[in-house]
Amino acid sequence: MINAQQLQEIVGEDWVITKREQMESYLVDETAVAIRPKPADNVILVKPASAEEISEILKLANRELTPVFVRGGGTGICGGAVPIRDGIVLSTERLDRIEEVDRANLMVVAQAGVAFGAMLKAVEDAGLFFPPHPGAENAHVGGLVACNAGGVRAVKYGVIRNFVRGLEAVIPTGEILMMGGKLLKNNQGLDLMHLFINSGGTLGVITKVIFRLCPKFISSGTLVISYDNRHEAIDTVPEILQSGITPLAIEYVERNVIEISARRLGMRWPAAKGQAFLIVMLTGDSEDEVYAQGERVSNICEKHQAVDILIAERKEEQADILKIRSEVYSSLKDNVADVLDITVPPASIGVMMDKVDTIAQRFDTTIPTYGHAADGNLHPHLMRDLHERGILRQVKREIYQEAIKLGGVITGEHGLGVVRLPDLDLCPDGKTWELMRGIKRVFDPNNILSPGIGLL
Amino acid sequence: MPELLKVSITEDINRRSGASLRIIVPMKQVPDMRQVKFDTEKGKVDRSSAAAEINPFDLHALETAVQLKEKLGAAVTAISMGPRRAEVALRDALARGADSAVLLEDSKFAGADTLATSYTLACAIRKLGGFDLIICGEKTVDGDTGQVGPELAEHLNIPHLAYVSKLVEAGEKLVAVCDMEGEAHIVEASLPVLLMVTKDINIPRLPTFRDKAMARKAEVTIWNAEELSSFADPSRFGIEGSPTRVRKVFLPSEEGRKGKIFRNTNEEAISDVAQAILDFLG
Repeated sequence: MINAQQLQEIVGEDWVITKREQMESYLVDETAVAIRPKPADNVILVKPASAEEISEILKLANRELTPVFVRGGGTGICGGAVPIRDGIVLSTERLDRIEEVDRANLMVVAQAGVAFGAMLKAVEDAGLFFPPHPGAENAHVGGLVACNAGGVRAVKYGVIRNFVRGLEAVIPTGEILMMGGKLLKNNQGLDLMHLFINSGGTLGVITKVIFRLCPKFISSGTLVISYDNRHEAIDTVPEILQSGITPLAIEYVERNVIEISARRLGMRWPAAKGQAFLIVMLTGDSEDEVYAQGERVSNICEKHQAVDILIAERKEEQADILKIRSEVYSSLKDNVADVLDITVPPASIGVMMDKVDTIAQRFDTTIPTYGHAADGNLHPHLMRDLHERGILRQVKREIYQEAIKLGGVITGEHGLGVVRLPDLDLCPDGKTWELMRGIKRVFDPNNILSPGIGLL
Repeated sequence: MPELLKVSITEDINRRSGASLRIIVPMKQVPDMRQVKFDTEKGKVDRSSAAAEINPFDLHALETAVQLKEKLGAAVTAISMGPRRAEVALRDALARGADSAVLLEDSKFAGADTLATSYTLACAIRKLGGFDLIICGEKTVDGDTGQVGPELAEHLNIPHLAYVSKLVEAGEKLVAVCDMEGEAHIVEASLPVLLMVTKDINIPRLPTFRDKAMARKAEVTIWNAEELSSFADPSRFGIEGSPTRVRKVFLPSEEGRKGKIFRNTNEEAISDVAQAILDFLG
């Protein structure tokens, strides 16, 4: 096991922390307490400032066979940043420079420790737009890539993976790799870069990211559509997509959940009518285009008994709606034992929600469920009572099984981390997991990087 | 709807106003202040650098008016002075519940300070005929003076209540809570009266899509200087009527957070820390 002095020689004495009370916040992430893995007892926190320093740390760890757990913003909710074995927590927070917003190539180059919110602002200040919005703006860009974050805006543009063009990463044997670049086409061999996206810190430490950007849309509007009936809301979604309109986002929420989030933020949910809501974000090259889309969406929604359709156009009003939606998990967190992120084919989302309801009734509980209605990604919240009654895992597995039966997966956003691994037996595909383990061994022969995370 | 308003409708008010209140909401189109840049040479806000929108404080004024309209019955008129593009803001006001909108547009109005602005608005309000209430936002986010409201009341020779955070009663008289320097004053006024409301008074509603789509095509009445002439002294319009001159505009420098590491834990280090705090506090 590496000692602190060896690390101090690499990064300087100020950047190695051994006192437990000075590193408490580095030992956990946002995973619900009921299922959060317990951090190991003997952990050293190290904060390198460059890929070169990280390379030296990894070489040392590889030599000494010391586990290294990579930490970005710590906003994950599957235990992926928790040091579950004695070893090192390697925080990339000092790699916090936005190196370049390249308007000519429509790219941004950011070091791994840049906060997502800071990158968004730099991009916006340059008059450009980064479409994915996974929620927590204090997440770090390295983490966004390591987790292939999704979020609400995936309908039109896809998830983080669709925007990564280049990556710099340090692999456990100490080599610094530059994969991809400011390129839109790259067929130079196997695409290792995409292996790092959603690798959850198991293949290497991401140190720099090149994201593709988009021109800023000229006009946008967020519709808040109220329904009395959940099914009418859900049935609207495929019709909107079939009509040829691809909104930036289509979110589904219910009043009982969204009002808790609004209250916690000291805000108010704008819709006074209805119980079930679609949040539809429209963008276009002109206000007229947004209104033309809004007109068609409204016609479809009214056909499905929408009881009210509001529009937010002011920037802060649109941001408020996104904020209330993005903070739902934070507002429920104290009472939540686990938040799932099952994903089914988009057209099956209504069926999946009914299955969740049936399971909730059978176990005499409530399972608040909301999610990304157009991409099949749902967040059933399993409440603490299930944990206290000792049936949390049973309920979770039943939901997983229903999702798998519909052709879905047990995680579409948050990743496997630590907390999803015990239920991988529900996804039996021996060869797939075997190949993944083989790839891990190629990069990390001694299994020092995030051992026990993301892969069995 | 927040329980902010306890309304007592009196016969008197119904009789006097012909079954409904007449409410005027002055509004301003302002640049989005998170994006706007300043032209320090000319001493002006560079309005072309950011998108324009209704001054956020004015939305609270409009919401107050619309809530009164829903409870008491009222005709709400939004009025603004500015270039033609300010029509967009007034149409937004129509979508959010105003019944009519007037834009004062003329190159003669340009360059107005708060005195000339309030004078011009007062002339237009006289032209509109009678009113019971004028409801303004606390201030605008670009000028930040909070002067136009009280000046408008003076031009019209009516009382005004500033920093209104709550309406307690609206009827024969108006009773409001005014937040003044940390104290809440409960103030009574007779109508007509001008109110300047704070952001605490309500949360502005979102317009419905259909109302907004309709309002985009709605007509906004446009008056120029000539049309106000029988109510005004044109020499008091615009830059000519503005005694204010901006001498200099400068931006405060943005200093980021500065860290300093004190390495020792002995007495001397503690006094170093104490000294650093004292130095910071000046």
